[in-house]
Amino acid sequence: MPPQPLPEAHTACPECDLLLTLPPLAPGERARCRRCGHLLARSPGAGFEPALAFALTAALCFACACAFPFLSFRARGLATEMSLPGAVAELWRAEEPALAGAVAGFALLGPLALLGAVTALLGPLVLRRPAPWLAGAARAVYTLGPWSMAEVFLLGVLVSLSKLLSLATVIPGIAFWAYLAFTLCLAATLARLDRHTVWTAIGSLGR
Amino acid sequence: MSFPAGTAAAAGLACCPLCGALGPAGSPRCARCGHRLHLRTPRSVQRTLALTLTAALLLVPANVLPIMVTVQLGRPEPSTILGGVVTLLHYGSWPIATVIFVASVLVPLLKISTLVLLCASVVRRTTAGPRQRTLLYRATELVGRWSMIDVFVVFVLVALVHLGQLLVIRPGPAAVAFAGAVILTMFAAEQFDPRLLWDHEEDARGGP
Repeated sequence: MPPQPLPEAHTACPECDLLLTLPPLAPGERARCRRCGHLLARSPGAGFEPALAFALTAALCFACACAFPFLSFRARGLATEMSLPGAVAELWRAEEPALAGAVAGFALLGPLALLGAVTALLGPLVLRRPAPWLAGAARAVYTLGPWSMAEVFLLGVLVSLSKLLSLATVIPGIAFWAYLAFTLCLAATLARLDRHTVWTAIGSLGR
Repeated sequence: MSFPAGTAAAAGLACCPLCGALGPAGSPRCARCGHRLHLRTPRSVQRTLALTLTAALLLVPANVLPIMVTVQLGRPEPSTILGGVVTLLHYGSWPIATVIFVASVLVPLLKISTLVLLCASVVRRTTAGPRQRTLLYRATELVGRWSMIDVFVVFVLVALVHLGQLLVIRPGPAAVAFAGAVILTMFAAEQFDPRLLWDHEEDARGGP
């Protein structure tokens, strides 16, 4: 599917409520609210195929990030190794359910649910087939967005690595690199999911 | 209440915050995406203030109680958020100390005071600088989730460092309180309706 220009649309700015008519946008063009500067639409330079490709790559990386050791730690002749699901389960058993739940939710299940919603949305859009769940999937994508904290978790891991370096040898495992790739691919997908473009595409498919 | 001319509300239309479709004011849900439709989020200021104040209260135990406990050779050594920053500075790793200080101390405080100020400006019907106040709101919304860094740091340290009797790191009660404070400020920012910042303009079409 080649990049399509976005048609004219009547809307209001979600941040200042100014009534607007979005002009038709050529691929690559952006529209901002003239009163408050809110970014209203960004016409994509390509169809939804690259976004779907990044989403599928992210799914593969996520599977690797869960299956392999994440970090290993060596100090004073002793070694420990952690995997992400293993560490969460262990913390849960150690009666720290709140911390285990926060990490499971924000770093694993949240990003996974977001990825699932993105795939459910992009599949039908790329195949140009209407699906009954399209509107629900798009709602889920934009609602879950702030609650998926893969990139925040990654920064937290980097900070703890540098805290530990003075103490011991820490070796990032396969899962660490897979999680890094997952975070980048998920960000690349989300950057291609402009709200106005997505809802216009859903509208043009019908329900 | 009357709305400034040129806005969707003045034309009797409600804009869906999720998909941007316009619907007649008074219809309960957006016809396009099914999201709840309101002219303005009901009791937006009250909800935002309630959540913000609860978050502010939670910040007290989050900063007073230890966020993690290092048990070295059987001796527990608790450390607080600020204590951790000081230790990092002591070892000369000031870039990390800056990241932790900004994410765990500065951002939550700034976010809470910004939300309170924005609510106050709506209640007092301030007309000055709606664009600047909208920018402030946008920044709070974007930056809030990064405060979670410290919670994730505690998780990685606890999960990785358990060398039996030699050295174990355990989470402290402040970790949960701090996570709760961050989650509450995120809900608070979500409840704030930025359109309220513009409702005391005379005429939207004139623009600033």
